[in-house]
Amino acid sequence: MTAEVMKYTLQQVEDLELAPGFEHEKLEGWIPTVASDDELRQALEKAFDYRGDVTLTLKSGERIEAFIFNRIGGATLADSYVQYFTPSASEKRKVSYAEIARLEFTGKDRAEGKHWEDWVKKYNEKKAAGEKNIALVPEALD
Amino acid sequence: MAVPISQMWTVATYVLKKRLTGDKRYPLVLMLEPLFRCNLACAGCGKVQYPPHILKKQLSPEECFAAVEECGAPMVSIPGGEPLLHPQIVEIVNGLVARKKYIYLCTNALELKRRLPEFTPSKYLTFSVHLDGDREHHDFSICREGGYDIAVEGIKEAVKRGFRVTTNATFFDGTDPNTVRGFFDEVMDMGVEGIVLSPGYSYDKAPDQNRFMGRARVRRLFRAILSNRKPTWKFNMSPLFLEFLMGDRKYECTPWGSPAFNIFGWQRPCYLLQDGYTETYKELIETTKWEEYGVASGNPKCANCMVSCGYEPTAVIEGFGSLKGFWGMVKGNFSMYKDAHALKLLNDSAPHGPAKLVQIAEPAHASMAETNQ
Repeated sequence: MTAEVMKYTLQQVEDLELAPGFEHEKLEGWIPTVASDDELRQALEKAFDYRGDVTLTLKSGERIEAFIFNRIGGATLADSYVQYFTPSASEKRKVSYAEIARLEFTGKDRAEGKHWEDWVKKYNEKKAAGEKNIALVPEALD
Repeated sequence: MAVPISQMWTVATYVLKKRLTGDKRYPLVLMLEPLFRCNLACAGCGKVQYPPHILKKQLSPEECFAAVEECGAPMVSIPGGEPLLHPQIVEIVNGLVARKKYIYLCTNALELKRRLPEFTPSKYLTFSVHLDGDREHHDFSICREGGYDIAVEGIKEAVKRGFRVTTNATFFDGTDPNTVRGFFDEVMDMGVEGIVLSPGYSYDKAPDQNRFMGRARVRRLFRAILSNRKPTWKFNMSPLFLEFLMGDRKYECTPWGSPAFNIFGWQRPCYLLQDGYTETYKELIETTKWEEYGVASGNPKCANCMVSCGYEPTAVIEGFGSLKGFWGMVKGNFSMYKDAHALKLLNDSAPHGPAKLVQIAEPAHASMAETNQ
């Protein structure tokens, strides 16, 4: 069981009035140091949480633009994997941690600016400007 | 009682068979997400924040059917994204109907009226239309003015054409119970089969983490909303789950009760948390560390969760799995839950007229540590 689990008693949780949120880090543009095994594991864990593409540079020199959606941890880097989709291929792919030399958070963070407060601010500005049919629209896919 | 007898019978016999065969972990509802693409951009939604190449991907009908057969759940909920944007959604629905699965197609209904002629009414198919409140509240909640009117038009057309229709609403901190009760009247007048509701939950992938109620506040809100019911209100949910929301029952989460499948695979541990994926349902069930999830685990990611995908399976299993539970369910279907204290909560909640369903002021933050002092 992880250290995080068992942090709170059942009664503490039951009495909760407002729930603490999860802290989203600003990772877009970040290039983590991945010199040690621990650094690489921690950086890939953040890449798994990241809502944008990253660029993986393999020890072979190959560069892969990828959306990492899963990680499978093993005892060693050689038997730990990330699973990802690339923009150009339809199938899922995976690569061993041991093959990864560099990680860059190159893609746009798609969760950034999507807070409720952002919408309220935008709405109030548009309303004050006299706009009608105010809406947030999904980003274009192409 | 909003759920048809045939559906209740299917679920009841399924639960009893599982108990007789000694299955400890079995699914009741498959959460089948055929795509993440959506035609809305609701602030705070954690389901659609992906790069375009991910949003363009979708499950094929064959992948959907394989997932349904692999897990064997008697009910299939199709959320997303917006399922009506999937070009083969009719084929997927027809294939599931042919397999006699009870389907809840969850839609924002922006495309519903236009697409209805492609579907055939069936006891197996329900359109579950996302409606978070009256016109003003819903439009603000989905970040689109005019959304409510389009959705209601879709609902009325679907009802007229003989489809099963429910509405589903999520309530956040700042919800005024009186407004919600007025909204229930409005929805039932549209001719829907029943109402589905759930408290919001700050699952970690949601970008918006500031306006979620803790469990104590959820119970107070739902006690005010769901006590002293009007006879016209019907809920397409287990009465025991509603009692859980009102604080009358203590339940643990049954995350495997509503397994989720999407383009990434089988999601662990549940529909809302994304702690990874497996290739098969069997692997999901056998390799997930279930003891690390749910309120009793102490996992902070689960701390304020009381949502239906985790707790309604617990209620359904109790309802169909024991005589006591079954009796509670029967009583719940006919009770108005008279409660003087709840009536006082209701009267106290809106001394100055109806409030917004959603809180737009800066919410107060409270850490878990603060609540313990």
